[in-house]
Amino acid sequence: MKENKSLYQHFLRAVSETFLIWRRECVRVFRDQGVLIFFILVPLLYPLLYAFIYTGEVVREVPVVAVDQSHTALSREFLTRTDAAPDLHIIAYASDMEEAKTLMKEQKAYGTILIPSDFSKRLNSGKQATVAAYSDMSGLLYYKAILSVCTDVSLDMNREIQIERLGNTTDEQDNVSTAPLEYEYVPMFNPQNGFASFLIPAVLILIIQQTLLLGIGQINGTAREQHTFHLQLPPGKRNGTFRIILGKSLCYFMVYAIMSTWLLLAVPKIFSLPQIPQIWDLMAFMLPFLLACIFFAMTMSILVFSRESCMPLFVFTSVPLLFISGVSWPGAAIPEIWKILSWIVPSTFGVNGFIRINSMGALLDDVQQEYYALWIQTAVYFFTAACAYYYMIRQSRRLALKQQKEEKGTDS
Amino acid sequence: MLRELRILVSRPLYLFCMVIAPLCCCLFFTTLMNEGLPKNLPVGVVDQDNTSTTRNIIRNLDAFTQTGISKQYANIAEARKDMQRGKIYAFYYIPKGTTDDVMASRQPKVSFYTNNTFLIAGSLIYRDMRTMSELAKGAVGLQTMQARGIPEAAARAFLQPIVIDTHALQNPWLNYSVYLNNTILPGILMLMLFMMTVFSIGSEIKNNTQKEWLEMADQNIMRALLGKLAPHTLIFYAVALGINVYLYGVLQFPFHCSVGALMLSTLVMVLASQGFGVLVFSLLPTLRLALSACSLWGVVSFSISGFTFPVMAMHPSLQMLSNLFPLRHYFLIYVNQILNGYPIEYAWKPYLALVIFILIPLPFLGRLHKALREFNYIP
Repeated sequence: MKENKSLYQHFLRAVSETFLIWRRECVRVFRDQGVLIFFILVPLLYPLLYAFIYTGEVVREVPVVAVDQSHTALSREFLTRTDAAPDLHIIAYASDMEEAKTLMKEQKAYGTILIPSDFSKRLNSGKQATVAAYSDMSGLLYYKAILSVCTDVSLDMNREIQIERLGNTTDEQDNVSTAPLEYEYVPMFNPQNGFASFLIPAVLILIIQQTLLLGIGQINGTAREQHTFHLQLPPGKRNGTFRIILGKSLCYFMVYAIMSTWLLLAVPKIFSLPQIPQIWDLMAFMLPFLLACIFFAMTMSILVFSRESCMPLFVFTSVPLLFISGVSWPGAAIPEIWKILSWIVPSTFGVNGFIRINSMGALLDDVQQEYYALWIQTAVYFFTAACAYYYMIRQSRRLALKQQKEEKGTDS
Repeated sequence: MLRELRILVSRPLYLFCMVIAPLCCCLFFTTLMNEGLPKNLPVGVVDQDNTSTTRNIIRNLDAFTQTGISKQYANIAEARKDMQRGKIYAFYYIPKGTTDDVMASRQPKVSFYTNNTFLIAGSLIYRDMRTMSELAKGAVGLQTMQARGIPEAAARAFLQPIVIDTHALQNPWLNYSVYLNNTILPGILMLMLFMMTVFSIGSEIKNNTQKEWLEMADQNIMRALLGKLAPHTLIFYAVALGINVYLYGVLQFPFHCSVGALMLSTLVMVLASQGFGVLVFSLLPTLRLALSACSLWGVVSFSISGFTFPVMAMHPSLQMLSNLFPLRHYFLIYVNQILNGYPIEYAWKPYLALVIFILIPLPFLGRLHKALREFNYIP
């Protein structure tokens, strides 16, 4: 009975010490301007800037030059329709290719549409005519716009030319003979093919992970630089790594529970990005993601030796991480070795799961793989974080003692 | 300068940021997009008709390079579910009775669905599926017309009077590696250049060694900076040239200017980034804030320089803002010189902009000098 009671008391003390660490950590976070920038300011403002950059979603009115060597009603018809399409804009009619090239060199136009001189002659004699489209490849979206507009215009005109040649009597007959088989395209989950709708959800998840890396790196870098890490232990204790980990992560979790709500629910709403999540599924998914990110950041902070070095260390990784998550570059085309390496970071699973839940309305059941992977990461990184903190505390105590001795030495 | 070299060697952080990180990123991105275009993206099929005609359509679709049929589904709901599970990027739907309807001239309709939350995969598959549908339409038409005794050439000319012949200039393979890596890698170098410039100057204040540093340069801030940053310039320039040799020499990326022009543009890029770093630290002589500003600038560069999403499609205020990012100008130089091989007179504007970035710290050097003499380290 007595044994039991002391165990219970022991437990109570551990809990209260954990909360002490939690309270101290909260104070530390909110007093440190540098950490606040990463924990609050960046997640608050950065997505707004990003969404603003991509808010146009699609490229309209790509400037092109037309070279009309045919000068006939049909060629003019083709060009007028091209110009009328929302994605292209003919800025000039050049007399020859040289003139068109000059405009492209000056970056006034990103493409050229060339209608050869025999265009109408061939069409009128029932032969195939060719229109050449040239695209500057500095941006794939220019190419896409030029290709799709020219193809659409040609298909439309083809149909009309066919109807004219056929001389059918009814519309129904026209339809059947020009298009014996119809087809329909249904873009799903991002109907306007928008750039923001595609990139922003991944960026939001990455912001959570990267700001945690930077913030926690900065907190620990500061403590290590000053050799004060061991002073964060519960008063009068020599060990207590688990209490430190739990207390601190509770503090970070609370901050990020609020920031995630802003990032994942409010930001997509403000910029009216596709957003059809089942809210409980989303929350259930975010729990292991946040935990995995926190423990991952705590583990990685072992690489940070001083207050500022977290930035040169971690910032650049955002770009490769975005690509490796399978959004910018299709996951199915990622070489095996990188795919396996990508399982190390929580963002890989976080991004995929979030996009499916948020933009595609998937249920927790549909993201099972990612969900379990995140829990495994949480467990693994909890353990590694404990090791890292244990090491950092001991190192800090050792260095602090050495410093004290040196000071004493110089005093006497 | 020697002193700076000793500092650089003494901290592994410098080695990591100046050499290891850029080279690893180079290796990462080039192997990631090794194929240029993703191949055989998994696509589903819902073929409820299941005749030889429809099976033929599916076989042809599978033969496209970017599309790979991975599974057949009984109905749309199942295919949609697998799309939500991330197993397929798109599916092709052929309703029951399609073949019969074609025979009876009842104009049936097939449809295809792509998941555009993955924009690149979605667009590539869309292109394949649309081409396939056009081909199927044409094949059906061709059959009907040949049955009426019209020769094939005439039938083709009838089915497709106007043909579009597209030329993707300088990158006819639509290689994504060429398209992205030529700007992403310099972007990462720039990010590191910003940070290392700021970090090395800021560390002097932090370690309280700025007096020693300034004394070595006889209190001449210009000389002090040149001595300090010259080793950085050399190392980064060497790394940048190494990456260039790899991209254009080993991987044979399109390269249409002289070697001299390439080396010049790289040098100007390195110097402009260092100039920008000095400027940031002169304006914000606190190491942490200056580094934060550099991180922000460096990361936003990737979006605002316009190599993925064109600047012309952004808000006018952002179009103006984009001029303040060195990567934007480097991108313009790259497009003009290396990709397209246009004469240099068409690229004087971005070159001028980068030269301004090199020179812009000059008016602020007095401020920097004062900061170095008077400021203490602020955590």
